Amino acid sequence: MMKEKEAYTKLNLPPMVLYVEKEDGTYGRTESVSYLADHYLDDYFDKRKKWDNDLKEQLDKGEISPVYYYMIMLELGEGDLASRVGISRRRLKKHFKMEAFEKMNLKMLKAYADVFDVPVSNMLHFIVIKEKDQEKLKISYQKSDNPYFTISKIETY
Amino acid sequence: MKEIEFKHKMAAHCESGTVTALLNHGGLEITEPMVFGIASGIFFGYFESSNFPFPMFIVRNKPGSIRKNIAKRLGVKFYTENFKKSQQGIDKLDSLLAEGHPVATQVDFYYMEYLPKYIRTHVNVHFLSIIGKNEKNYLVSDSYHREKAELGAEVLNKARFVGGYMAPKGFLFYPDYIPENIDFNKAIIKGIKKAAHDMIKLPVPFVGVKGIRKFARKVTGWPDLARDIDHLSHEIMKINIFLEDQGTGGAGFRFLYATFLQQAAQRLNDGQLEGMSKRMMAIGDDWRNISYFAAKIGKNRDLGKERLNELSQMINVMADKEQAFFSELYKMVK
Repeated sequence: MMKEKEAYTKLNLPPMVLYVEKEDGTYGRTESVSYLADHYLDDYFDKRKKWDNDLKEQLDKGEISPVYYYMIMLELGEGDLASRVGISRRRLKKHFKMEAFEKMNLKMLKAYADVFDVPVSNMLHFIVIKEKDQEKLKISYQKSDNPYFTISKIETY
Repeated sequence: MKEIEFKHKMAAHCESGTVTALLNHGGLEITEPMVFGIASGIFFGYFESSNFPFPMFIVRNKPGSIRKNIAKRLGVKFYTENFKKSQQGIDKLDSLLAEGHPVATQVDFYYMEYLPKYIRTHVNVHFLSIIGKNEKNYLVSDSYHREKAELGAEVLNKARFVGGYMAPKGFLFYPDYIPENIDFNKAIIKGIKKAAHDMIKLPVPFVGVKGIRKFARKVTGWPDLARDIDHLSHEIMKINIFLEDQGTGGAGFRFLYATFLQQAAQRLNDGQLEGMSKRMMAIGDDWRNISYFAAKIGKNRDLGKERLNELSQMINVMADKEQAFFSELYKMVK
């Protein structure tokens, strides 16, 4: 039986509620942390970094569009994404390729940017901070009254 | 910040946690396992759909069912509303808060910025309570966060009114009538009966025990669906997340359900049910072994045919165990 003392309780990870057998034999709640996050979080970040690099390489070569890049990185299903943007799945799939992406109007580009939670400008470029500077610098986005216009700020922590 | 006095408490599961907290606030003493059990929360379903980036399984009943089943079985009346226009939904939430009601709302989990980014994914069926507001922020009581948290009004509004699969449409609810006299014993029996029925008797090939068997069958074909070995590893390791992390209280809600059965056995003074709670706890341990196994082979990229067959076999054993368990449980309450 899952005993209370077997629950992970590291303080540097966000807690979650786990139901366990207490010492008196009753079952009840305790706070624990994610086993996966505790043991394998590095592996998750390594995988994401690899996908990011691979997809950006494909973007660079024009093999995929930014729509496909963001869909994979955000782990969105095609049907779900199409519904969020308000288009058919067939049309969405066309937008995975640059031939259709380059014909997209600004309104459609913004609809995608809103779903991906990035400024419209990030549908056309990436700002990359070198790995050695990532602990010192961060990028923040300041919205303006103009929905198409965002100020990107590179700030120190 | 104008804050409604509200007891914030973490919970295993967002919907049962939110419903429990609102019922407690309304004066009804009830635990999260009791809400989960009476509402027949335990379930299994294996899904392949373009709405998901990869096949996935769920270990609980349909989102919204916890509240609906609690209303039906306890006689609680919930005020509920969803909205065609976002401004109407925003105004309604604000007016309910101004009247002093803590209000539950449905959101896209991705926008819960007080949680670490690595656990936030686009899932439109997260439930939380809103318990205060100032000019810029709402005060949130989220079962997955240790403290109450502030969330920007713009962000919460976006999370309430995103589109997509199971779009929240600003859905909100709160209990506006809680009966004084509730027949808990009857509600417990009904909750158990429905859960057992749905696990073994629904004529749908991808839900209940049939869903577990489908999962066992299909997981060996996952390599054909993955982009590469790292993607396959990620999806296999997500088995651990679905069973342990995504609001389950551990072991795909089986530990939570075992706790319900124990509390039910005490209330009904039923030794047989007490025995079933121990069996469910042991089933939970077996699911936990599967989740650890999946995490390990995923991390090691040990994902050849033989290893996935082994995983499949372990899942099939769970189907056998849950078939036997829920059949017996069903007979007990029939």
